[in-house]
Amino acid sequence: MAVVPGGPRSGPPAGAQFFCTAGRGLEPFLMREVRERLAATQVEYISGKVFFTACSDLNMLKQLKSAERLFLLIKKQLPFPVSSVSKGKIFNELQRLINDDPESWLNAISIWKNLLELDAKKEKLSHKNANPLKRKVGEDDTAAKKLKTEQIQEIQETKECQLEKQIEEKLLEQGNFITEEGKFQELQNDVTEAADTRNQTDLTFRVSCRCSGAIAKTLTAQEVGRVIGIALMKQFGWKANLRNPNLEIFIHLSDIYSVLGIPVFRVPLACRAYIKTAGMRSTIAWAMASLAEIKAGAVVLDPMCGLGTILLEAAKEWPDVYYVGADVSDSQLSGAYDNLRAAGLKDKIELLRVSVIELPLPSESVDIIISDIPFGKKFKLGKDIKRTLQEMERVLRVGGTIVLLLSEDHHRHLKGGEASSGPLNSQGGHTQEPGGEECLTPAGKAAVSEPVSSLFVAGNQECLDRMPLLGSLVPVDCYRVSLGKTDALISKYKKSYSPGR
Amino acid sequence: MRLLTHNLLSSHVRGVGPRGFPLRLQATEVRINPVEFNPDFIVRMIPKVEWAALLEAADNLHLIEVPKEPIQGYEHNEEFLRKMHHVLLEVEVLEGTLQCPESGRVFPISRGIPNMLLSDEETET
Repeated sequence: MAVVPGGPRSGPPAGAQFFCTAGRGLEPFLMREVRERLAATQVEYISGKVFFTACSDLNMLKQLKSAERLFLLIKKQLPFPVSSVSKGKIFNELQRLINDDPESWLNAISIWKNLLELDAKKEKLSHKNANPLKRKVGEDDTAAKKLKTEQIQEIQETKECQLEKQIEEKLLEQGNFITEEGKFQELQNDVTEAADTRNQTDLTFRVSCRCSGAIAKTLTAQEVGRVIGIALMKQFGWKANLRNPNLEIFIHLSDIYSVLGIPVFRVPLACRAYIKTAGMRSTIAWAMASLAEIKAGAVVLDPMCGLGTILLEAAKEWPDVYYVGADVSDSQLSGAYDNLRAAGLKDKIELLRVSVIELPLPSESVDIIISDIPFGKKFKLGKDIKRTLQEMERVLRVGGTIVLLLSEDHHRHLKGGEASSGPLNSQGGHTQEPGGEECLTPAGKAAVSEPVSSLFVAGNQECLDRMPLLGSLVPVDCYRVSLGKTDALISKYKKSYSPGR
Repeated sequence: MRLLTHNLLSSHVRGVGPRGFPLRLQATEVRINPVEFNPDFIVRMIPKVEWAALLEAADNLHLIEVPKEPIQGYEHNEEFLRKMHHVLLEVEVLEGTLQCPESGRVFPISRGIPNMLLSDEETET
């Protein structure tokens, strides 16, 4: 998908630098995605962010499923040294971000404008006859997504409000901040027009700032935002505007880096237009589906589908598949039903009211199982998780894949921490082969140097402990992801043999 | 519930085992949903189909023009594939029942969703 700069389908010439924010733990999924979907280069990550270079247009960028938000990168550099330094010195450093290197700002702005212009042109072409009154995309986008955006921005704005106000106050003091109502209206309604204007002083902007780590102890986000805001106005003549700026500048200062960027879309990528009511994080649901290696013609089951988020994410991306969603709860199922209808995926996904420990499916009839194992009050740990796994194992075909979202407790339990009391069987040897990593605990490794007999005992004992829980299911992959307050594990298993025969 | 799903479902009443297949299908309300024809998908589904179960279900719904068995070279036979597409994906049972052939246990289908719960406690939640 590499595009020759200036070619007919070209995005920003020669590739633009972007970064995405992502839930902790989803960075590897996002890195894979930008490489595969965007043919991105220079892909690298730090906790919570993935940086890359790509020649993609807005439509391609919109396809990213495991990212929270997408930004055009203005600058990325090492953190400010904060230790025992006066505020004034840090303020100077902040100003230098702009004054010492205005080129990188202007460069980012021009790439940003190109992206929008390109999109506006395409939109115009496709809507030329359909709707001559609708002038520009910016407007369209804003209206359609206003609701969601507002919800999200509400949170940010509470803190941003203050900083914007401070900027405005300051400016009013200086007597050079004039709000012309008419002009303001024009600008806010028409992003593209702003993009057309060569004179960049027409830009309106606001600054969103996050500080974490040591710098957060010295400075507030508001202070940083104010300094940056004023420096931008002085340097480029842009105007501050809280409610409807053309441009948003995002800053994150932490112990690891300082990053500045421009959000490419107003609505986070993680907010799916096709999901009416999300039951779990769409990014995590997508990541789970992406691990399951879904192939055309497969039978895919989510035996605890809830509102169907995983199946929706999967069916959007891999359509030629037979999806079955099951749940015990009538209310969850009716929510799922509404979601499927709203997404136009009613044809692709069948719903069943079923208990996960008593699936009305023949043994080895399902190719893939993906599920978010509920935890917390609703679901008792222990026997249930064991029976759940056993039933999944039964209906899965040999070679089939299971991808589960497990709590730490579940995961520990499944690894066999307290399982030795269960009825052991003689098949322990089987799991030793491909189980690989799981068996290579320190105890196992230490045993290697010892006589063969004790190696066998150590290895076998450990696998026997796991045996009654996982049976023929071999752990393949495990990713720790953040659900906000808690962590969870995306665990992938493959069925290695048929236990019945 | 579509007939493709019926073809997969099996009674899980305890002790029934493989004799719980196929479930006897009765319908009081059936809807025909136009679904976009996707020959590749149908070709992939056909090897999974249990024909006897499909024919029995189709018969209970009084469907006509159901192919009796997969024909030679069906992969490239559009007429055949369209018929299968219709039977498997477009016929939707909205209201009706599924009955376990071994134990006689009846499972209701309402609003297109089969309720396959075994215990009554769960049914009430």
